[in-house]
Amino acid sequence: MILNTDGTMPIYLQIAAWIENEILNGGLAADEKVYSQYKLADMYNINPATAAKGLTKLAEEGILYDRRGIGKFVSSEAIKIIKDKRKNHTLKSMVEDLVQEAERLDMSEEELISLIKETKNRNKGGEE
Amino acid sequence: MNIIECRQLTKAYRGFKALDQFSCTIEENKLVGLVGRNGAGKTTLMKVLSGMLKETSGEVKVFSHRPFNSLLVSANSIFIDDQMNFPTALSLAEILEESSKFYEHWNEELAWHLFDYFGFHKKEYHKNLSKGKESTFNMIVGLAARCPLTIFDEPTTGMDAAVRKDFYRILLKDYLAYPRTILLSTHHLEEVEDQLEEVLLLNRGREVLHMSIEELREFAIGLKGKREVLAPYLADRQPIYTEAFGMDEEYIVTRNNLSQKEKQDMKREGIQFSGVSASDLCIYLTSSGSHKGGTLDDILN
Repeated sequence: MILNTDGTMPIYLQIAAWIENEILNGGLAADEKVYSQYKLADMYNINPATAAKGLTKLAEEGILYDRRGIGKFVSSEAIKIIKDKRKNHTLKSMVEDLVQEAERLDMSEEELISLIKETKNRNKGGEE
Repeated sequence: MNIIECRQLTKAYRGFKALDQFSCTIEENKLVGLVGRNGAGKTTLMKVLSGMLKETSGEVKVFSHRPFNSLLVSANSIFIDDQMNFPTALSLAEILEESSKFYEHWNEELAWHLFDYFGFHKKEYHKNLSKGKESTFNMIVGLAARCPLTIFDEPTTGMDAAVRKDFYRILLKDYLAYPRTILLSTHHLEEVEDQLEEVLLLNRGREVLHMSIEELREFAIGLKGKREVLAPYLADRQPIYTEAFGMDEEYIVTRNNLSQKEKQDMKREGIQFSGVSASDLCIYLTSSGSHKGGTLDDILN
């Protein structure tokens, strides 16, 4: 991952999102130790306090848990929490944008839904 | 623990106050960027902190001691700028050898590795170096000294882009390996902000803000839209920066404390949001608009 430094997304959120993706794609399993703030700082060339902020956010959300003096580990609930969070927040706001743009273009509800179905089917076809 | 404490610190040169009732504290092992316009007081502050200048009034404490004439502060800090007074009779190699005797935590390995990496020759003389190479050599001395308080005043002056990038990387890596308090002044915040923990913004000898880089990046928000659509939302807000676009559009920078509802309403009315980078915000907060003589546009028109 290369950090996006244009200011649209804070660096610590990008670090948190990267760890979430690692958990989702199996790169980090439950009860596995995640990178320390210093390791992340070195990997991404950022201040360790910024990296720590990303880790703290994930711990507050229950995605990581703390083992005093050892570091942060992936919780057993991590995948479920990440998926719930992304469905309820990230996806929701993307849908909001989608609906708003469709309204601006005077698209009907049916048209919008059929567009979503089409895209979904095409992706399915591509996988097979 | 606080490494630096300033209270009502004033430094005047023949009546001109370069630092004016300046107060701040800096904690141990932070990597802090010092920014501000030309003449804001950055260099004066750094020189007072390293004991090179005597304060006019107020209080300044470094490692709990007054830095002026303090051997303790002198032994535990290093100040690097582009006017280093290295003995002219010594070659570069001899300067590094002598420096190792002055600084308790001097790291021989780091010094010589960087010396070779940047292609210096042992028999060269400091006064014959180009501006960029001089800055690079000074940087090596500043890093290898590993002083508990390391102060860099515009360390990248004259360095080419590749060397500047190397410097920020080396600075961060050595800071991670050997944490210490580092104060670095710069006119290019965008180049080094990822490596910093805090930013201290000075203007006319006073502190404008001092906060973590993360807070600074989220401190303000840019709004762009039609003037009459924006106007009602700005009724009780102080804009940080305003710029007119086309016939009836405006770009406004304001505090990033809009409620979720306000944001949704604005979005629906076609107002666009954008982040405001830390370096842009620092420029907006210290623009010389309030000097007599009006804005640059007024002068040029």
